[in-house]
Amino acid sequence: MPVMLRNRSPRGYGATAAAAAIVASSLLVLGCGTADTSAGSPEIEGTVLLPEAGSPFVAFDVWVQVGSQDDPEGKEGLAALTAALLSDSGTTEHTYQELLEQLYPMATSYFAVTDKEMTTFRGVVHVDKLEEFYRLFRNALLAPAFRQEDFDRVKAQTMNYLENGRRFQRDEELSKELLFWRVYRGTSYAHPEEGYVQSVKALTLDDVKAFYRDHYLRNNLVVGIGGGYPTDFPQRARADFDALPEGEVARTPAPVPAMPEGVEVVLVEKDTDASAISFGYPIDVVRGEDDYYELYLANTWLGDHRNSFSRLYQVIREKRGMNYGDYSYVEAFPLGFTTQERPVNVSRRSQIHEIWIRPISLTNETDLHDRTLFAIRAAWRELEKLAENGLPREEVERTKTYLYNFAVTFGSTTLRRLAYAIDDAFYGMEKDGFLAEVRPAVQAMTPEQVNAAIDEHFQAQNMVLVVITRDAEAFKKKLLSGEKTLISYAGEQPPEILAEDQEIATYPIPVKEEDIEILDILEVFEGEAPAKAATPAEPTESQ
Amino acid sequence: MQRLLLAAACAVALTIGAGAASAQEDDVGRQADGIFPFPYETFDLENGLRVYLVQAGAPGQIAYVTMVRTGSREEVEEGKSGFAHFFEHMMFRGTDKYPNYDGITEQLGAARNASTSDDWTRYYLVASNEYLAKIVDLESDRFQNLKYAEPAFRTEAGAILGEYQNSAYSPFAVLNREIRELVWTMHTYRHSTIGFEADVRAMPEGFAYSRSFYDRFYRPDNSVLLVVGDFDPAEAERLIREHYGDWKPGYQAPQVPAEPPQEGERKKVVEYPGRTLPIVTINYRAPAWSATDELAVATELLGPVAFGPNSEIYRKLVIEEQRVQFLQPNFGLQRDPTVVSIAAMVSDPADVDAVRAELLGAVEKARTEPVDPKLLEDTKSNQKYGFLMGLETALGTAFSLTQPIISTGGIEAVNDYYRTLDGISPELVQKAAQEILVESGRSLVTLVQGGES
Repeated sequence: MPVMLRNRSPRGYGATAAAAAIVASSLLVLGCGTADTSAGSPEIEGTVLLPEAGSPFVAFDVWVQVGSQDDPEGKEGLAALTAALLSDSGTTEHTYQELLEQLYPMATSYFAVTDKEMTTFRGVVHVDKLEEFYRLFRNALLAPAFRQEDFDRVKAQTMNYLENGRRFQRDEELSKELLFWRVYRGTSYAHPEEGYVQSVKALTLDDVKAFYRDHYLRNNLVVGIGGGYPTDFPQRARADFDALPEGEVARTPAPVPAMPEGVEVVLVEKDTDASAISFGYPIDVVRGEDDYYELYLANTWLGDHRNSFSRLYQVIREKRGMNYGDYSYVEAFPLGFTTQERPVNVSRRSQIHEIWIRPISLTNETDLHDRTLFAIRAAWRELEKLAENGLPREEVERTKTYLYNFAVTFGSTTLRRLAYAIDDAFYGMEKDGFLAEVRPAVQAMTPEQVNAAIDEHFQAQNMVLVVITRDAEAFKKKLLSGEKTLISYAGEQPPEILAEDQEIATYPIPVKEEDIEILDILEVFEGEAPAKAATPAEPTESQ
Repeated sequence: MQRLLLAAACAVALTIGAGAASAQEDDVGRQADGIFPFPYETFDLENGLRVYLVQAGAPGQIAYVTMVRTGSREEVEEGKSGFAHFFEHMMFRGTDKYPNYDGITEQLGAARNASTSDDWTRYYLVASNEYLAKIVDLESDRFQNLKYAEPAFRTEAGAILGEYQNSAYSPFAVLNREIRELVWTMHTYRHSTIGFEADVRAMPEGFAYSRSFYDRFYRPDNSVLLVVGDFDPAEAERLIREHYGDWKPGYQAPQVPAEPPQEGERKKVVEYPGRTLPIVTINYRAPAWSATDELAVATELLGPVAFGPNSEIYRKLVIEEQRVQFLQPNFGLQRDPTVVSIAAMVSDPADVDAVRAELLGAVEKARTEPVDPKLLEDTKSNQKYGFLMGLETALGTAFSLTQPIISTGGIEAVNDYYRTLDGISPELVQKAAQEILVESGRSLVTLVQGGES
């Protein structure tokens, strides 16, 4: 069975590694780790190894080359539900209860994460407990029992998340999911990994079994092991996984999202005192390709995750105190509110440039929409300035210094280093890898290269905008009117801020009425994506 | 599925306590005198600042952590809830010497941030060890010479409101607020760390108060400094003595009102305005964290033993009957006497009363029968390995020492804690249940979707 790995094009050459560069390979020879080659593990097909002799921990990261993009139509959420069931239920050797009993004294467990293109099963154990843990972990993937009662439990938890939690726990995360849904409509990336309410409701245990049978194949998964394991361990582990059958997996083509034509807007009606905002557009650069590091650096300047010096944060939070933070991304970053660390194992063949404005609160009963629109305008204006003007030399140098130093914190744990190595394999970067490359790449890049990448890939004309707010109809009118939306401050502001406010408050966001769609919160992700610019739904009571 | 996992983890947000229990077993004791595996040095400056220099963690890196033993617990003044956290934000606003704190840490490439809880405020940087001298200079400076003007203060207040709004509407946040307000009548644990919403909205007016906060609480005799990682301890000590020696002591401990004993069960049903399954909680008054008090340590074990994933009640409600989506005991203790809780998300709104009755039945059983000795030993092992697993990074090591530092002023209590835990018997856990899980100290708080109560 051929597996697809992206071949990385050499940096500095003109050719870009677009979708056409994906090559078929009959093997996953991903070889030895980069951390401690002195451990001398032999190369073992279908493994990613990261030996760290003397470490008291052993980390596992088994990568199954399947993701939500592979969900059959009408069965959105199946890949994720399959992985959830495998990671949280009994095996042919143990019931779920017995598993809990055995894992508990080790103070560990394993978990599965399903993203668009990859599903990973991960866990870390103290080396004292390696054999006991590994047996349970292995069985989860190789010997699932598929008991109906386990399925019912996991599905009920999933349904509760889809019907309630996703809509009512974190509006800011929901706005990001809606952004991806809208940018990727009509493609395999459109639906959220967890699926829609209606699609998951219809899933059965037989669906899961079939999905497992078709995708959990010996030649469709990579066994990642890192830390202080015995030298003979990987050979043994890989042999265990080779007990899975071989088979053909039809590879879902990479999505090719259409660039929005002008500004397309999704508004969600919800009873709230604060608006959640995301906007963005597709870009055609992913890790391992030309311009990747340059864009990464330019975006770091614009909106590095949870870092206070970046431009969006400075303009919206630091100087104006409008919200908790403002960031931007050139790679998917699910659950950004939970962590300051970069995500791992969310590798994708298509990415978007995403702006995340954290919730904007009202400060009196009438100013929520003015503040919301002001924040959107402020961020949009910064993006446009960057796209139009590029970065001055000194700003590039300042950001290079930061990123060069900061990158040493990326691989903070064995599991993270291992997960990065898995991502390297996804992107075809196994020779050096992201952690090894990022610092030299940053050091070597010139302002001219950075600005060329900005010029090539960043823009502010075509955009998808998502806002979750109260009285969405009123917000829609305000957005269409183009009216000035000044904000007031609790304290004195210097004249230069007030002068800039005048520009921000009238910054044009050209939207056509037919490009604005309003959804009630209870419609969000209920079923398959509505057609573009559907008739605005009547708001319904959310109680 | 990440998000689903997180939804389950949100249950932990109900945790009112923060204690991290640990255990020691013969087969894992890393040193003869305790579980903490890393060599360290400690010294006190004359001004009262205690310093720990711990050799652990990633090669070439350091975690530099300052713990101030003040959190929202010390916000005793009316209308000033949330200021410990607000003040934490202001600590990034610079000094005369270094007006641009963020700019400097940016150039070091340091991962840095801070967080505030009921009992503490904790600042950290993780950076290459080549910057140790710079970091000592920078951190010692802001703890002694912080300077910010009122306009910047007022602006930052807006960011706090935004932070409040990030999660204010989740059912867990709503429930947590309601539990606090029902359980506490006097003690400052009544308000969450982010503060009452009205107080958060009034924060721009609190400039003078914020300065007094710094003067009273940000003192060396109320702080502990940890450097963890790969560095030369002699050089670190020299730098720290040089830069922190002039920091003036003068911590003014506020009179945190003692909570009178609860005399009778309290009940509340909270209607949530969005969509949610019901959440049943049972809350009990509990003692303060201690490394040596057997009853306190047994209380922390009681939660996972009686209501954790291997308890009978968990097996019945979550796994076999699937009437409950999650069952979460929160039995971590705090600096002051606190509240422990059992929380369950109920699958069928009509089943709320029956589930609560089942949970109360499990409470009664914990009071009347000794716990299974194997489950108790497994729980000790779980706590022990949980502690060890937290030591993978320099920062994780520093953070794992928070509770002993906040409660006792030093890290030595971590080994005391394990020694105590080792000796906890099934009978002691039962005794803790009999003393803690009493009806007169109980508060039943249930969150339901609006219109279903």
